[in-house]
Amino acid sequence: MKRISLIWLLLPAVLLLAAFIVMPTFDLIRASIFDPDFTFKHFQRLVERGVYIDVMWRTVRVSLIVAVICTIVGYPVAMFINLQPKKRQVALLFLILIPMWMSVLIRTFAWIVVLGREGLINDLMIGLGMTDGPVQMLYTSGTVITAMVQIMLPIQIITCYSAMTEIDLDLMRAARVLGARRWQALTRVYLPLSYDGTLTGLVIVFMMSMGFFITPALLGGRQDMMIANLIEFQVQHLNWSFAAAIGIVLLVLTVSMILLLRWTGRFAFRRLLNVGR
Amino acid sequence: MRVMQTSRMLAVYFWAMVVYLIFPILIVLPVSFSDNELLRFPPTAFSLRWYQSYFNDPVWVDATLISFRVAVVSMVISTTAGTLAALAINAAPKRLAGPLTYGATLPIVIPHIFIALGVFILAIRSGLTDNEMMLALAHAAVAMPFVVLITSAAIRQIDPTIARAARVLGAGPLRAFRVATLPPLIPAIVAAAIFAFFVSFDELIIAQFLMKGSETLPMRIWADLRLDFNPTVAAVSTLLIVVTSLAMGVAETLRRRAARTLAP
Repeated sequence: MKRISLIWLLLPAVLLLAAFIVMPTFDLIRASIFDPDFTFKHFQRLVERGVYIDVMWRTVRVSLIVAVICTIVGYPVAMFINLQPKKRQVALLFLILIPMWMSVLIRTFAWIVVLGREGLINDLMIGLGMTDGPVQMLYTSGTVITAMVQIMLPIQIITCYSAMTEIDLDLMRAARVLGARRWQALTRVYLPLSYDGTLTGLVIVFMMSMGFFITPALLGGRQDMMIANLIEFQVQHLNWSFAAAIGIVLLVLTVSMILLLRWTGRFAFRRLLNVGR
Repeated sequence: MRVMQTSRMLAVYFWAMVVYLIFPILIVLPVSFSDNELLRFPPTAFSLRWYQSYFNDPVWVDATLISFRVAVVSMVISTTAGTLAALAINAAPKRLAGPLTYGATLPIVIPHIFIALGVFILAIRSGLTDNEMMLALAHAAVAMPFVVLITSAAIRQIDPTIARAARVLGAGPLRAFRVATLPPLIPAIVAAAIFAFFVSFDELIIAQFLMKGSETLPMRIWADLRLDFNPTVAAVSTLLIVVTSLAMGVAETLRRRAARTLAP
């Protein structure tokens, strides 16, 4: 196609991204270092106060925990779907895709109904005589992670599954025919071939977890505040420049952690399988 | 054909995970029909009072209408811009296709809170806070990558010789596009539009920052969950769960059908 018409086709998308993604990003950078004159005071404040360091470190830690749990828990689910007959795979995928597209707000609310003081679990436990009064489950870190894993899991499963559909299952059969045990065929054939997609899933879940806002705010206590909550808090208190500085740190942290995860992931893979030397 | 024997344990594990994913969502449904003020489970008696309180409360109804308006505008913009971009990406020289796809799908990797903050500062500078069009455009930017990904996948499956045949038979480029390229893409475009609609309809943070005077539905739910907890939220959630499931079922079916029928 002619170059001119290509540019016309791209124009609406370019304008949209330029106005609502690229320009605001530059605005954010500017707001974080000019107040009104050039200054690094917002970044300084961020690294000098222990509270803020805590929030940042917690965000990275929680996101990493969620990503790792999703990977371990999701991998067998994706594998199970991939090993089913084609027709059945489609039906099973629906069970994963429908919750994936459900609003995060509603999925978080659902956890309040399940785990609240008058919720299902407490009701069951009291009914069974396992406890005398309601157990406090909301506003704890464990609940935040349980819910975040549930919200992110479909994404990990789908990413993993897409990678697995590329695997030629005849290779597994060949391995079995040649005398490999089931777990050997799994770890020597299936796992290496699905490794890259699994790592991609882990990175995506980590990245999305870093920006989580709704779930820690509704299910966590003060001790569970993540970077996005801190940003919202600062905006409500009209500290826009400081909020902008936190936003930039969030983006930089996310990108550098993604690079680190990709790099260590590849490295671990090579060491694990002794390949690529 | 069964490719590999999967152990029964793996099957049990799979269904346990499905329960973990879906069960908490399903629990909301019975609570919405409760007659009790508290989010108590199981409900003590059946009633529709929370549905009444949703439909009779102008605050809830207005919030729903605003969200609907914003989502429709955002859907039209992101679907148009995203589909055109996907067509361009697939027609572009090979070496440009990769960078263009990365560029067009960029917003996926940026946290919403970051976009929200940026758009908010932009809106303050330009005096456009509390503007529904501004919100719709911001949502469109966030939803567009999904449109590009879904329609690109469908465009790649199309046989380009059909459009070429149309050209050879005397059709102009626009007509060739309309009669040969577009029709097989419709299911994918509709699927993309449905996804785009819900990206906007469910979005909270950007709206929260941008809107001050008026409220979208997620903002209303959010405010309710933070302040006076009552089962009206459960009724709204139930309606949303049903509507989203149906729409996503349609969208996924269309997307799959598009991928299947277009495959050579």
